[in-house]
Amino acid sequence: NGAAFSKVRGSQSGQESTRWHVVRKFLGLISSHNIPVYLIDPLILGLVDKDIEQIRSSPDGPSPECKYFCTPRDFTTFALLDKTWKHEMGLFRTAEKMGFQWLKIINKDPRLDGMDDLSGMEIPLHYIFKLASHAIHLVVFYERSGNFLWHGPLRLKQHMDRKFVPFRKLHFGRYPGAYEKPELLLVSIDDLKVQIPKNPSSFLEEMSHSRFLECRYREARAFFQLYPDDASLDAVEFRKKAKSLLHLAALTLNNLGVKFWLSSGTCLGWYRQCNVIPHSKDVDLGIFIRDYKADIIPAFQNAGLPLKHKFGKVEDSLELSFQGEDDVKLDIFFFYEEDDHVWNGGTQAKSGKKFKYLFPKFTLCWTEFVELKVHVPCETLQYVEANYGPEWKVPVKTWDWKSSPFNVQDNGDWPIDEWDNVIQIY
Amino acid sequence: MDEWKPNPAVKPHKKRSWYLAWKYKLMNQRALRKLCQTGAVLFLLVTVIVNIKLILDTRRAAYEEEEESAQDYDDEMLNVEAPRHPVNNKKVLDVEVYSSRSKVYVAVDGTTVLEDEAREQGRGIHVIVLNQATGHVMAKRVFDTYSPHEDEAMVLFLNMVARGRILIFTIKDEGSFHLKETAKNVLKSLGSQVAPFLSWRDMWTFVGKKGGEVYGEKHAKSPALSTWGDPVLLKTEVHLTSVEDAECHWPDTELNRRRKRFCSKVEGYGSVCSCKDPTPIEFNPDPLKDNKVFDVPVAVIAGNRPNYLYRMLRSLLSAQGVNPQMITVFIDGYYEEPMDVVELFGLSGIQHTPISIKNARVSQHYKASLTATFNLFPDAKFAVVLEEDLDISVDFFSFLSQSIHLLEEDESLYCISAWNDQGYEHTAEDPSLLYRVETMPGLGWVLRKSLYKDELEPKWPTPEKLWDWDMWMRMPEQRKGRECIIPDISRSYHFGIVGLNMNGYFHEAYFKKHKFNTVPNVQLKNVESLRKDNYETEIHRLLGEAEVLDHSKNPCEDSFVPDTEGKVYVMFIRMEQEADFTTWTQLAKCLHIWDLDVRGNHKGLWRLFRKKNHFLVVGVPASPYSSKKPSSVTPIYMEPPAKEEGAVAVPAVAAAEQT
Repeated sequence: NGAAFSKVRGSQSGQESTRWHVVRKFLGLISSHNIPVYLIDPLILGLVDKDIEQIRSSPDGPSPECKYFCTPRDFTTFALLDKTWKHEMGLFRTAEKMGFQWLKIINKDPRLDGMDDLSGMEIPLHYIFKLASHAIHLVVFYERSGNFLWHGPLRLKQHMDRKFVPFRKLHFGRYPGAYEKPELLLVSIDDLKVQIPKNPSSFLEEMSHSRFLECRYREARAFFQLYPDDASLDAVEFRKKAKSLLHLAALTLNNLGVKFWLSSGTCLGWYRQCNVIPHSKDVDLGIFIRDYKADIIPAFQNAGLPLKHKFGKVEDSLELSFQGEDDVKLDIFFFYEEDDHVWNGGTQAKSGKKFKYLFPKFTLCWTEFVELKVHVPCETLQYVEANYGPEWKVPVKTWDWKSSPFNVQDNGDWPIDEWDNVIQIY
Repeated sequence: MDEWKPNPAVKPHKKRSWYLAWKYKLMNQRALRKLCQTGAVLFLLVTVIVNIKLILDTRRAAYEEEEESAQDYDDEMLNVEAPRHPVNNKKVLDVEVYSSRSKVYVAVDGTTVLEDEAREQGRGIHVIVLNQATGHVMAKRVFDTYSPHEDEAMVLFLNMVARGRILIFTIKDEGSFHLKETAKNVLKSLGSQVAPFLSWRDMWTFVGKKGGEVYGEKHAKSPALSTWGDPVLLKTEVHLTSVEDAECHWPDTELNRRRKRFCSKVEGYGSVCSCKDPTPIEFNPDPLKDNKVFDVPVAVIAGNRPNYLYRMLRSLLSAQGVNPQMITVFIDGYYEEPMDVVELFGLSGIQHTPISIKNARVSQHYKASLTATFNLFPDAKFAVVLEEDLDISVDFFSFLSQSIHLLEEDESLYCISAWNDQGYEHTAEDPSLLYRVETMPGLGWVLRKSLYKDELEPKWPTPEKLWDWDMWMRMPEQRKGRECIIPDISRSYHFGIVGLNMNGYFHEAYFKKHKFNTVPNVQLKNVESLRKDNYETEIHRLLGEAEVLDHSKNPCEDSFVPDTEGKVYVMFIRMEQEADFTTWTQLAKCLHIWDLDVRGNHKGLWRLFRKKNHFLVVGVPASPYSSKKPSSVTPIYMEPPAKEEGAVAVPAVAAAEQT
């Protein structure tokens, strides 16, 4: 019935039907090679989302009009899971026979980048199939440690055709991105059978803050050249415990839907050495106070992490500390946003003194750390420098949380009558 | 593989010396005015050049930042598959071949493709194979035909080389002592007139086309037993043919394109490059029903033994249930030829810059390979670890598929291994039988991700520790009392004889007679009985059923075990405490099984077969199974050899480990 449908197309302008025809040809191409792709085009998914109930309820119904694939655009974006196809060159030969021009963007495999001196084959990150005036942008997703999907940035090499498509308008590729593995749904839209994320709106939400930062492996190697890694049994043991504590904390907070990021020493460890700093003795996380939930404390307790202390209150300088296995502590700092900076508070239990740690404003990016997908401040350098000063590259073994941080300020004292509330030690 | 370029680009630094010379000349002539003028012009020129260079450098730096490997992208599109050393108009190659007592070299168009003047190395006949169309070096071998059997290897190799290839021969030191008639005839059939008469310490060079013309031959006779022939230098020309003539005309398929790329680069792989009837490079073995290991990544650990890797991958890809997409070959070093082999089979390969030396290097290569495997397959709970010198049994994956759930569920297990250290032709019998052993055999095994990530990786020996990774893994600090599951009949076969820890004698003695399963789809027996507690029940049942052998007889004699089949026998040996293996070692020696260290034991019990009977050995009183010993039986004690003999045995091991 595609032919019948294209008659409807005939009444529309040439360019509109071009897009629909190119998408249809592309879907034919990939299904003839048994390659499962799914639609991730944000503009189309946005339209689809509005009609999602109707689309779900009539997976086979013919469309009365062409609503989605006929809006004139330069390109339509699809995703491909790397492990679901075998990189057969036959696909490209068929594509050429069908009249497609295609472009492949390859680069180093980041999953090997963290490793000393390994050089694998470069991996395809993006494909672009162009036919007439329309292009299909196919983004390749890879599974990474931490149970998430990753796509690479799109970077053109010197001698590539910069005018092949309007690259700057592409929705994917400006930065690498991290995504959960999506649940897919086979639907029929505009009489084309296509897979889409089951919940387009949450996919679009995820997409809006999907930017991924790779750890700075090269710099981390240079760091270890200067300061050889601590391979003692104690260090190995601490790293193991810190890793499992971080996994448990991430699981707990993710279940609650509370967004968090690596902060203080844990963030420094990721940024400087792509690992847990063995002499840091605790795991530090940051949470915006607006994301605070009262369930946090019971959730950690249920996860087997008793509350060790609670300083401050939701309105001011809140800080929670949970007791992990064998003296490894989980510190959660709540961050308060001001017009031009953010800060978190500290409290000295015995004196009731308050401290304030100032940071420049930042956004959150995903990264991979100890086999976990976690947030870090995208502007990591500013964040780390604010906290540790320009000498952050030099390891310091003696650290005093009241005086060592570069960004600490005195912040007065808690009134004595509030002590029972704002200084709780268990 | 050596690289050489027939037309090396002219280096640009000549310009500078020309400029200096000119300046010098001008000053000598004291043409001051002219000098000033020229100076000004030159100054301008230099400024321009410096500026351009600066701009170029900055741009290059900027590109390198983002686009480090701008050179090599997308070969399908840009068609960079053309021969790497295009010869264009070149029709003739200049070839120089040198043979002498202490040095050999081969130069093609002025580029040295072989040079060996190392002392006490490289003795024998060096052979180089060139592509007749491109002049590209396709293979380089040395056969120490002073020693026995090497001439047979040479004949084998020469037979595998395709017709039309250019062959270059040269002798270093001595190449005739064990060069037998057959080998001489093969050389003669290639057109050599001297080969049939080659004798002690003669020097010899020869260049010819396989199945075609002779380009040159030189020979210097040794005048006396104690001296060598004079060095000979052969200079000759070789006429190149067209690329079409040098290639086979296989149908144009994806597989054949891979084959073509491979066959135009390397030689010595026999029928895979045969024009008429090439051996397949895709095997499509039967899939396994309910394959539990289909999604388990397979890491193949390789060095620079491409012929081994070729043999290994063929057997691996022929095993039922194999999933080629899960295979990654990790090559220790930037060797091209192993990578060519990997690409021939359409697999993915990763090269690893060598760090550290010898055993530590292997150990670091293992670590990098295992880490990379779990990075590339983040969902995997296990990894299969193989080495390049193993044949893989047809039911390798079937064996793993039936047993892998044990590794997942039984925490007292350390690994599943395809190799039984004690499984020789005369001591292994039952392909469906599995054991639990306290030693880790390696040689084809399954590693649990949690074991690697939580325990091994964080404390893996660092490069300065010259440890064998497998020895380290066997240490009690790592193994922590856990056991491995092994089959009675091995599912891998160790064929390598040239390696870090291998030599011919060692291989002959300890590996050649190893039993290797060739039966497909073996249904494993009673897999559940391999679980920790079930296994004890099973052993007690076996011991209860076992007939006690006559302990007055010599256990080394064949008559120690009656001429029966399918029975279970038990013998008791003296074993004072857990680490007392005195008698076991002597017994292992006389049974001709692995005796270099203790392998295959489970709580002081060894299980093997003798004359098709299950044969149990219990160490008394250390083994908990000692209670099964009838009070009338005295455990057999076997004297270790006298000191002198012991001293002999030690270097034998050391020698084996060094080579």
